[in-house]
Order: sequence, then structure tokens, then C-alpha cells
Amino acid sequence: MYRAIRIAIPFIVAALVASACGAASTGPKPTVKIGSFNFAESIVLGELYAQALEANGYTVERKFNLGNRAIVFPALEKGDVDVVPEYLATVLRFVDANAKGSSDPKEAQKQLQDAVKSKNLTVLDYAQAVDENAFVVTKATSDKYKLKKTSDIAANAQGLLVLGGPPECPQRPFCKIGLEQTYGIKLKDFKPLDAGGALTVAALDGNQIDLALLFSSDAIISVKGYVVLEDDKHLQLADNVAPLVRNAVATDDLKKIFNAVSAKLTTDELIALNKANGVDKKDANVVAKDWLKKQGLIK
Amino acid sequence: MTLLADVLRWFTDPAHYRGGDAVQTRLVEHLELSGLAVLVGVLVALPIGLWLGHTGRLAFIAVNVANIGRAVPSLALLALALPIAFALGLGLGFWPTFLALIPLAIPPILTNAYVAVRNVDRDATEAARGMGLSESGILRRVELPLALPLILAGIRTASVNVVATATLGALVAGGGLGRYIVDGLGLQEYDRLFAGALLVALLAIAVEVSFGVLERAAISPGIRVEPRAL
Repeated sequence: MYRAIRIAIPFIVAALVASACGAASTGPKPTVKIGSFNFAESIVLGELYAQALEANGYTVERKFNLGNRAIVFPALEKGDVDVVPEYLATVLRFVDANAKGSSDPKEAQKQLQDAVKSKNLTVLDYAQAVDENAFVVTKATSDKYKLKKTSDIAANAQGLLVLGGPPECPQRPFCKIGLEQTYGIKLKDFKPLDAGGALTVAALDGNQIDLALLFSSDAIISVKGYVVLEDDKHLQLADNVAPLVRNAVATDDLKKIFNAVSAKLTTDELIALNKANGVDKKDANVVAKDWLKKQGLIK
Repeated sequence: MTLLADVLRWFTDPAHYRGGDAVQTRLVEHLELSGLAVLVGVLVALPIGLWLGHTGRLAFIAVNVANIGRAVPSLALLALALPIAFALGLGLGFWPTFLALIPLAIPPILTNAYVAVRNVDRDATEAARGMGLSESGILRRVELPLALPLILAGIRTASVNVVATATLGALVAGGGLGRYIVDGLGLQEYDRLFAGALLVALLAIAVEVSFGVLERAAISPGIRVEPRAL
């Protein structure tokens, strides 16, 4: 009997502490389920929004690393997740394949909001931070074929380069199809690898591919000294980071918290976050916490 | 149910039998990769297994070392094989997958060969020795024929494992039937994904059945129990 009480004490204390904490927050705040895609930047962004909410007394359920958009977007529609850090142009094209899109983020946001209105979703303020599909080559390849702009490929290396990217690349307008149709590029071959991940980088380093599809905000590009080919025919549209939120949780309070985070997020800050996570190997939650503190968004 | 219908439609679409992504092309790639990996597995593991079985020496160590190959996940082996293949200038696709599959093929072949020879009736080998056969003669003419069905069973296990695992090659830009699975996942085309999985499963079963037939045929006439009418 005595022993049973002794065992029970820590649980009772824990329960009291927990209830006291609960009482400290002002008013009932819903539990928010934050989702993310299956690449590192998305998880860091998810952490940013998650920790900003937690600092304001929300309970957050993290559903990170779910998969690509074809998995994440339906999860958002169904309410399996409430929030996803999205990219304006890419998600617009996903929701409406015929959407015009725009290189102006304001216009892109408006088009996206119109497209998702019927799905009970709201696009919150977009960040200045942009992450686009970037076609990169090594310094050596850039020197060899004099490649600075994407259109240089058709001029100087037509039919000579092997492209590496995610398996879906050959059927995506921002990827292989765009290179062929917008730029008139003929590739030597395509190697199906991963979505801007370690495999693609390894293959580029190992000279197994000449041209790689990476994400423009990936810190590995500057660390390895790769050359990002300028998108001189504007194949990629305005892909600013913006949280896509279910109307059910999009209270004014939540919007205010998220918009404050997005307001501080520039492309340089995003690259720095990715570097801390991907190159310096710090955990996403630590990276997010350090950044939010530095920006004065959490204590 | 719609998935099943989609998969059926996928198989009947003539477009899937043309070009570099054709079913027959992927099937040949898959068989080529698996066949070569098993062949190398046989060349490495069989002599060692037979010798260990015949002498009974060092068997504990060798069998356990070989079994480590079974314990390490093939995906990890593939990740390890990739930089090796790059360093050797072998590239993506076929070679790293081939390197990763060999450690998977070796353990069942080695273990079965060892056990098969070890379990040959001592009376038979002693009689052969008494008749003046050399040690290699005993292995070749007495132990090997008696052990053959069990040896083939080891090669069968290795082949089925390798055929099923060769799908991983698609992760590193390889060909084979895994291509349908990895691409199907990337494109969210589940009919393609399921068709690929089905093809791999059917191929593994076909390999299993063919080896089963071979094993029965390989039973030494001296110990074969003929079914006869009472």
C-alpha cells in the first residue's frame, strides 16, 4: 500500500503541474496539426511555425516528413493536418494545372487563394523567402561548356548533359518538360534519383550526372561551389514560402503569429536555416528555436 | 477495386510494351542483374561451403561471418556500395546494386552447401575412402551428388531473395522492375506501382517453382524413392 502511494506520487505531481500549465494559457486554444513535406527545408519551416505557436500557448501536433505534395495536400484537405508550409507557384500549379501563375508573388497569392477557397483553405502572408527548382552544374562543367544561363545549354551543350532529379521530373512542367519546351534543350539522358537530396548531390559530385535539379535555397549549393544556371526564360514562377491553413484553425491570433514569422523570413535567412540544418547537422527543432529567438519572436 | 481495374488496364496497354520502359525490357534487366548476382554468389560461396562441409574445419566462423550479410539491410548495403561504385568509376544503377546484392546471395548458398555435405551419411564416405577414393574424389563423386538437392535449395533461397531485393536498384537510377515501383510512387501512379510489385512477386514465385523442379530432378538415383504401386 505504502509502496503504491510512493509510485503514485510522481504521477500526481506531474498531473498537477500539467493542469497548472494548462490553466496559465489564456482562453481555450485549439490543438494545431502542422504537416510538412519529405525534405529538410519543409521540416525546418514546420518547426518555425510550430514553435511560434507553442510559445503563444497552443498545443501543436507535428506531422512532419509526410511525403510529396500528392500526399500532403489531400491530408490538408481532409483535415489530417491543419497547416502546411507551402510554396506559392508550385502548389497553385498542383491545385489547378491550368493556372496562369505569375512571377509576382502578390498576384500568385491571389490566384492561389481563389483556387483553394472552395477547399476551405486560407493562404497566409507569404515570406520574402523564395525556394525554386534550380538547375545546377559543377564549376568544372560550367567552365567546360561556358554555362551561366539555362539557355546556354541549348547553345553550348546541346545533347551532351545528363540530368539528375526526382523520378517524376520527366513528366513535370517545372522540370524536364520545361527544359525541353521552354528552353529547347535536348538532354543526353535522365537519371531518376531523389528530390534535391543527398543522392542527387552525390551523383553530381561523382560526375554521374552533369545537370542536377536542386532547390535554390539549399545551402549545399554554395558549400560545394556549384553554379546555379540563371532561369533566363522564367520557367520557374514566384515560389515564395507561405503557410496554407485550414479555415477551421485560421483565427486572427494564429494568423498574427504566422505572419510575424513569415515577415522575417528572407531567402538569405532561409539559406542560413538550411545550412545550419543540412550542412552543420543541427536538429531542425534547435535550428528553428535559435532563429526564432534571434528574431525576437520567442523568448 | 478500381485499383485492380487500373492495374489490369496498365497491363493491357500496348504503350507499356514499347521503348526503354517496356515490361519485357525491364524484365530482362531485372533477370540480368539478379542472375549475375546469384552467379557470383555461387562462385564465391559454393567452393567455400563444400570445402567446409568436407573438412568440418572453421565452419562456425565462416557460416557466422556469411550470415552477417543477411543481417545488414540491403538498403544500407546499397548506400555503402554507391560511393564504392563511384570511386571505381562504375557509375549509378547496375553496378552499385550488383555489389549490394552479392552479400545477400552468399549466406544461404554457403550455409546450405556446408550443411548438405556435412550431413552426407558417414558410412558412404567411409566406404568410399575404404575403396581408395582420394579426398577430392570423395567430395566430387560421393558427397556432391548426395548433397545436390540441398545445395540447390540454398541457391533457390538466394535467388528468390535477390530477385525480390533487386528492385532497390531503381532508387539509384537502375533499371529492372523496381523502376515501376519507384516511378509509380514519385508520380503517384499507383497502377504502375502495383503492376511493378506484381511483376516482381510473380518473377520470384517463378524462380522458386523452377528451382523446386530442378531440385527434385537432382536427387541422386541411388537414394531416390520411386513412387510405385502397391
